[in-house]
Amino acid sequence: MSETGVRVLVVDDERSIRRFLQAALAPHGHTVYEATSGEEALAAVIAHRPDLIILDLGLPDLDGTEVTRRLREWSQIPIVILSVLDREEDKIAALDAGADDYLSKPFGVGELLARIRVAIRHASRPAEEPVFQVDDLKVDVAHRQVTLTGQEVSLTPTEYDLLRVLGQHAGKVLTHRQLLRQVWGVAYETETHLLRVNVSNLRRKIEPDPTRPHYILTEPGVGYRLRADV
Amino acid sequence: MTEKRAYSDMYADIAGKAHAVPAISALTQIISVHQPLYVWWRILLSLGLVAVATALGFPLHALIARANLVMLYLAAVVVAATYLDRVPSMVAAVAGVLAFNFFFTEPRFTLVMSDPEDIITFTGLFMVGLVVSTLAARAREQAESARQHESQIAALYELSRDLTAAADLDAVVQGVTNHVSHTFGRESVILLAEGEELKSRQPASFPLDENEWAVAVRSFRSGQPAGRGTDTLPGARLHYLPLKTVRRIVGVLGVKTTDPNLHLTPEQRRLLESFAGQAALAVEREQLAEQARQAELLKAADKLQTALLNSISHDLRTPLVAITGALSSLQDDAASLNEAARQGLIEMAREEAERLNRLVGNLLDMSRIEAGALRLKQVPCDVQDVIGTALERLSSRLGDHPVTVEVPPDLPLVPMDFVLIVQALANILDNAVKYSPPGSPIRVTGRLAGAGESLEIAVADQGIGIPAEDLTRVFDKFYRAQRTRAVSGTGLGLAIAKGIVEAHGGRIWAENRPGGGTVVTLALPVQHVLAISTPRVSASKHRVTTTEGQP
Repeated sequence: MSETGVRVLVVDDERSIRRFLQAALAPHGHTVYEATSGEEALAAVIAHRPDLIILDLGLPDLDGTEVTRRLREWSQIPIVILSVLDREEDKIAALDAGADDYLSKPFGVGELLARIRVAIRHASRPAEEPVFQVDDLKVDVAHRQVTLTGQEVSLTPTEYDLLRVLGQHAGKVLTHRQLLRQVWGVAYETETHLLRVNVSNLRRKIEPDPTRPHYILTEPGVGYRLRADV
Repeated sequence: MTEKRAYSDMYADIAGKAHAVPAISALTQIISVHQPLYVWWRILLSLGLVAVATALGFPLHALIARANLVMLYLAAVVVAATYLDRVPSMVAAVAGVLAFNFFFTEPRFTLVMSDPEDIITFTGLFMVGLVVSTLAARAREQAESARQHESQIAALYELSRDLTAAADLDAVVQGVTNHVSHTFGRESVILLAEGEELKSRQPASFPLDENEWAVAVRSFRSGQPAGRGTDTLPGARLHYLPLKTVRRIVGVLGVKTTDPNLHLTPEQRRLLESFAGQAALAVEREQLAEQARQAELLKAADKLQTALLNSISHDLRTPLVAITGALSSLQDDAASLNEAARQGLIEMAREEAERLNRLVGNLLDMSRIEAGALRLKQVPCDVQDVIGTALERLSSRLGDHPVTVEVPPDLPLVPMDFVLIVQALANILDNAVKYSPPGSPIRVTGRLAGAGESLEIAVADQGIGIPAEDLTRVFDKFYRAQRTRAVSGTGLGLAIAKGIVEAHGGRIWAENRPGGGTVVTLALPVQHVLAISTPRVSASKHRVTTTEGQP
């Protein structure tokens, strides 16, 4: 499975969206399959064995979250969700059900391709990487060391864990719940203030300008994402 | 007798207590209570009055004319008639005649009459006693009935006064049940009609089982009283009265009996019916008021729609015209366009599409606010993150405006709906960008105000400002200051911001800056400062400043 020329299953009941995705993805060497409903999507995953699914949340039969849930029973295929801007609950539900990322409609082609690259990269290299780097920020997991333009940054253990979890999923959105669960544990998954305070503190330490974050990006109402080079 | 028995229902309690209280008050009770048991007592009392008259007669006998002694007995009869009712007063009249005959006429201490004048005196005394007792008794009964009437009128008056003051349907229901409980000493329940169905508006402390419901529904459907004390399903625990107005039946009033042996008297029943009438009117009034409110809302919604059509059709079509034009020119004139022209058209089509998207988003937001459909998801939020996200969302439109953000690092998390406040702030920022010259600075400040009771986020620009008389109107929907016609916009951005802020229980206002430009401030209540378990970073240079447009 290479990062160029992946097989993409597009699941959307709107013909114009399918047409647009076909037109946008084909020039980049991707093969596009189409499905117009949840049931059709589940069948198409078995029939075409795609590398990635672009799934609209508002399907006529099953909702996208349900499709995600059913797929996750037997498949780890990357799923990128399409949703309108103001349906944060739906996005969170789908992400918590196992979807990899989301795109708010309307979206640009650049954004779409970036999401596809990140999702494919994480699917093909699931193992933890010892070091990850983006621009001037470098996190060395093996040595528990964080540097910013070569200068070591001193973080509290919680801040470090938070940055490590974000880094492991660099480029992918993580919901508040996912972050709280992975950094603090299941018992803390509703304590969003812990997350907000630590993200705020972390930004003060690693962002050149904490009011306009460059590394840790806020996904309003959904979660956070660490910038990745894609 | 049975009627008197029933009549005593209301007073049974008081009469029951009379056994235990002192003699004087027992006397009053006896006097005021129509109890057959006490008739004997009263007869005894009337005989006592005759005895008193006799006793007074002895010393006077030698001093005054015998015929005048009769006056003493007459007085006894009048007193008995006034206070002891008809039968005791007649007993007093007869006993008076006999006592006068026995003690004072010749031959004394016999019942023999020798003087024919005495016969006239006896007859006179007897007749007067009869008439006086009848009159007095009637007066007493009238007074009693007037008193009852008065208390009923007073009860009704209080009920109607309270119902007039009732602000909503729940207050009406509460008022009626309170008054029924106060006046009749009984619990009650009001079931209101919703369409063809009856619905309870009462708390669950007074549940009705299926049978009771059936009786209530029967009363509702037939428009007649049903249940206890009626001919329709008298086995029920409650007495049900339909709440009737001229137009329809608005519900049912159910009254519970405390003691199964007690029944309402006809007077009480009439009063209860008047209560039901008052309640029905009040319920109908509230329902009509509610309908009027709904109609008002509909009218407002209708007005909004008309305004939408008028104002928006233009705004919707303009970008579409531009996009269609750009695309068709790219398709048809591909050969004659140079690269720069092609890029220009593509850029324009994209900008217009984004504008259309913003417009549709604004319309959806506005309609959700109008419909009261905003569901706030209030969680503690980092104010700096809120501001940063709003700036990020607007980044493509901020252009070359330098933006300064000032947030004290020790600002606590403040509960709010992150997404909505970001939206409100983005709208305010968008406004600042639109109405200030390119390159002019914009400053965003966040701080706690009023002893930490509210969070204020202010956006200051150096733009054209707002005429003083328009400072509040800029938050009205579709309002646009006269001199801003040249700038594209729908007049919804600030109205949406206001809707969002007010949904949080906060407020929003605009001021002109002394040096020119506008400050729009939103204030959110900080109900509780959250206990934060993780200490915040102690930052050293606590003003974080950024300048847009610099690397």
